[in-house]
Amino acid sequence: MTGSGQVTTGPLPIGQFVQLIKQTVSHDPLFRNQALKGEVTQWKQYASGHTYFSLRDQDGQMSAVIWKGKCPIDPSIKEGSEVVVIATLDLYVKRGNIQLVVQRIEPVNVLGELEKAKRLLIEDLKQEGELDRNRLPIPAVPKHIAIVTGAGSAALSDMHRLIDNRWPGLRRTVIGVLVQGPRAPQEIVRGLAVTRSLATEKTAKERGEPPVDLVIVGRGGGSPEDLWAFNLESVARAILASPVPVVSAVGHESDVLVSDLVADLRASTPSDAIERVVPSRNEMEFLLDEMDERLKVASRRQLIDCRQKITVLHSRLRVAPLAGLNRAKGEMMRIASRIDRAARQTLSVQSNALARYEASLAAVHPQRVLERGYSMTQTAEGAVLSSVEGLQSGQDIILHFADGSADAQILKTQKIEGTK
Amino acid sequence: MTDEQPTYTEAVLRLETIVSTLERGGMGLDETLKLYEEGADLLKRCKSELATAEGKLNELQLDEIESELKAEKQ
Repeated sequence: MTGSGQVTTGPLPIGQFVQLIKQTVSHDPLFRNQALKGEVTQWKQYASGHTYFSLRDQDGQMSAVIWKGKCPIDPSIKEGSEVVVIATLDLYVKRGNIQLVVQRIEPVNVLGELEKAKRLLIEDLKQEGELDRNRLPIPAVPKHIAIVTGAGSAALSDMHRLIDNRWPGLRRTVIGVLVQGPRAPQEIVRGLAVTRSLATEKTAKERGEPPVDLVIVGRGGGSPEDLWAFNLESVARAILASPVPVVSAVGHESDVLVSDLVADLRASTPSDAIERVVPSRNEMEFLLDEMDERLKVASRRQLIDCRQKITVLHSRLRVAPLAGLNRAKGEMMRIASRIDRAARQTLSVQSNALARYEASLAAVHPQRVLERGYSMTQTAEGAVLSSVEGLQSGQDIILHFADGSADAQILKTQKIEGTK
Repeated sequence: MTDEQPTYTEAVLRLETIVSTLERGGMGLDETLKLYEEGADLLKRCKSELATAEGKLNELQLDEIESELKAEKQ
């Protein structure tokens, strides 16, 4: 190794230069056993037993290594963890890379502090009765949904896709906010303030759309720290201030967020929120059509019943004493024509379904009779026969049964005496 | 809901009652017609309510919609 005086005698071989740096660095106590803090990224544990990662913060970063068995690693440490390490700077001369050789690594308990604040907030909200409040009902048919979430997020495209499957073109307004990082809480709160404004009749009128009647606030899953905005008081208060129902739609599995506790409906993911609040238009239309059909059939049957009562009345009138006959007859005619008019006006005109129903009634009744063992006789030309009058020996006829028909021929006819 | 119009859910519940009543039968002419007309009216309203849910898709950044709302106030 040469001294610095010889540098001027000619170009220094690069290997020697890197070696010089290494010596300088390794002699400086600043780079030995230094405590450093930062966030873990590119965390990789290799089969060899060594662990490589980078330590970074907003201003810079550096690669680091934990040699196999050199220090215990807390299993909670993963991508994104805040950690404190004790490390020594090392320079790998062959490649000129510098890295931190870690002797100790500990996760920083950021969550511990946050959890405490969350617990206190939940306690406060409970005391205020906010957790037992009556929840606003979710509208059966939402006419204007406001979605407060990350613009361009996967969660948002999932929601759009699901909405359009269930109710193509359902009216919605997306308010794109930051859902992560230090500015997230404030943006979510402002986003919810916008939904309050859109929910007023006045603003809705000015914008020419129905007022917002349902709000979904949320984001896709992430680490507890990522989701923390939804555990903050400002966001909880903004949800509580909403005049229309709010759905908390943050992707997470086990831990309950404060937003879940105060919202009118808790969904486990943004997609879950859509499935729970957006009905299927096809299903709804089907139910209404079915109801329509039932209403018409039942009304028609009622009218037919009424008509039958009149017919019974009519036959009784025929044997009634002459006195009062005309009055009763007139009354009957009025009722009968009223029923007929009603049936025509309110039903037949409005509904093809009724025409079908009538047709099916006509078809059904003779069928029932045939099923009881009677049969119907027709001439070969199709005229229904109800008398032996006019029948000739050798004439072709058709016999109809419940399950088919038979061609037959008249052998001879016999008329019962005394019948007409 | 502050006005007297029933909500969609209320309307469907009432419809169900009307239809079941008619299906049970035994009503006079007046009652039948009254129920039919009420039912037909509710159905019409429910169907048109489904149509009102369709509309525009607005997608705006927070700042954009905030300034839009501010502009409307002036």
